[in-house]
Amino acid sequence: MPGELERWSISYYIQRQYQKIKLPVEPQRWSGLKNWILKTIAIIAFLVLWEIGPRAGFIDPQFVATPSKIIVTMWGMLLSGDLLVHVYVSLRRALIAFAISAVVAIPLGFLLGGWFTTFEKLLNPLLSILGQVNPFTIFPVIILFFGIGEAAKIIIIFLVAFWPILFNTITGAKNVDPQLVKCARAMNASKPALFVKVILPAAAPYIFNGLRMSSGNSFFMLIGAEMIGASSGLGWLILNSEVNYQIPRLYAGVVTIALLGLAISNLVARLEKRVVVWHEPAN
Amino acid sequence: MVLSVKETSYPVEERRPESDAKIVLKNISRIYQIKRNNGKGSTGFIALQDVNLQVRSGELISIVGPSGCGKSTLLDLIAGLARPNSGEIFIDGRLITGPALDRGIILQGYALFPWRVVIDNVAFGLEIKGVPKKERRAISQKFIDLVGLQGFEDRYPYELSGGMKQRVAIARALAYDPGVLLMDEPFAAVDAQTREVLQDELLQIWEKTGKTIVFVTHSIEEAIYLSDRVAVMTPNPGTIKEVIDIKLPRPRQNSDIRSSAEFGWVRHKVRELLQSGSLEKEHGQQTDQNVAEAISTEATL
Ligand SMILES: Nc1ncnc2c1ncn2[C@@H]1O[C@H](COP(=O)(O)OP(=O)(O)O)[C@@H](O)[C@H]1O
Ligand SMILES: [Mg+2]
Repeated sequence: MPGELERWSISYYIQRQYQKIKLPVEPQRWSGLKNWILKTIAIIAFLVLWEIGPRAGFIDPQFVATPSKIIVTMWGMLLSGDLLVHVYVSLRRALIAFAISAVVAIPLGFLLGGWFTTFEKLLNPLLSILGQVNPFTIFPVIILFFGIGEAAKIIIIFLVAFWPILFNTITGAKNVDPQLVKCARAMNASKPALFVKVILPAAAPYIFNGLRMSSGNSFFMLIGAEMIGASSGLGWLILNSEVNYQIPRLYAGVVTIALLGLAISNLVARLEKRVVVWHEPAN
Repeated sequence: MVLSVKETSYPVEERRPESDAKIVLKNISRIYQIKRNNGKGSTGFIALQDVNLQVRSGELISIVGPSGCGKSTLLDLIAGLARPNSGEIFIDGRLITGPALDRGIILQGYALFPWRVVIDNVAFGLEIKGVPKKERRAISQKFIDLVGLQGFEDRYPYELSGGMKQRVAIARALAYDPGVLLMDEPFAAVDAQTREVLQDELLQIWEKTGKTIVFVTHSIEEAIYLSDRVAVMTPNPGTIKEVIDIKLPRPRQNSDIRSSAEFGWVRHKVRELLQSGSLEKEHGQQTDQNVAEAISTEATL
């Protein structure tokens, strides 16, 4: 599995980001309050420096908006409904593309990893190469084929969300413990029962790994996709703010994206915890 | 057409096993196709050759032999998970063509479903059988009690010790009430003390339920302690060399039967059989190698 991860440079990067973000959440043997202070002290110090910097003139206030200014701007945009529209448009795009990639990649992964294993061997080099293609670099090709409408954006996100789910599902389908399959077969389980009761749950941790990587990827790529020929969405918001030199608005977009990204990864992780309740032996 | 040839090649009366025979294995051979490294073609590896065995109804028979002699392969065939390349297996006079719930198998390793808690693991076979949920729970609970795991119904396998996992596997195989229990080195992975406890528990369960048990092990002592008969297997190719009656008195639980003179004598006999088998095996391997060399030189010519 690490091999699959490393091949996937963007997702690997995002994965690492998540791990960094998640680290402080892990249980530690300190008391609750002390723990909390330690966790937040660096963040608070950073925010304070950020606030003081532009005000004191260390940093050019024209380029860097202070946190207080960002919060005020975000609040204003929230009240005017401006921010929510962009959040809604972006999330809708990401969700549609993410859902399509999951719906296509999971069954395909099972087919390749579970049934047509020789076909998978044949296809594996090609898939690895295709998975390596950086979607940023093929923006122009996608625009040629699909224009700059909604479809192009969804396809770009799809292309980046698809591979981690596919590769992880293949790995999961391949790694089902043969003893478990044998055990179910000995109890005369039918093919559908075998799939639903054994193969699917056995592959679930891998699939979730893929989903987690993809949800991050989708969001990451969304911003890029919205910077080409969009008229709404968080990516457009940032680009538009830059063009119009509305620096606080630009930062408001950046912060919103960061918060949403965090929320999405937390959501998937929470879902994973609910579905994969059993412990995996040293992954 | 192949079938009809087989029909005529056996006399009809031979197909009817003795009345008290639960399982009949007739001239069983199993050949594994092993792919050559160069990717061209494959060779046959004879895992079992001409195995004949009759298991009586309600008996506990052990199959003992060194690792790799084909014990698991034999159980797979009886379970219907694989087909013999030649020969036939009957249960209650019916030819085995695939897996069915008249046989319960306890595979090497525990093979518990890690995503199911104890009671759901035990209920798996009942689910496949289509038993309604309420009934399923009641039956599973009965067998959890039987193996002494009450209070652990809602634990995941990773929360259990090795001995407890083995008990779950036994309960799972018993729950759908098969007449035959096939056990593949079930106690090999637990510590010596737990093993003796589990052996005694198995004897108790066997006496309570009256199952026919085929117990595979590589421990001579375990085989003798548990069994009515011990089938000694030798490798290369895997065959049953001899079946020895164990005439030790029952019940054997909580007795010092292991240190009795008769126990020692039987143990000695089984060990001798196994040793002579492995000696023959060494000779056999040498000739095999010569044959293989002869073939390969021919092939290059
Ligand atoms: N699927 C397989 N393909 C090829 N060879 C196999 C396969 N399964 C088992 N064998 C070989 O058959 C022999 C018997 O295996 P097995 O029945 O597992 O032995 P045991 O259970 O007595 O240790 C071994 O030499 C093993 O290497
Ligand atoms: Mg074995």
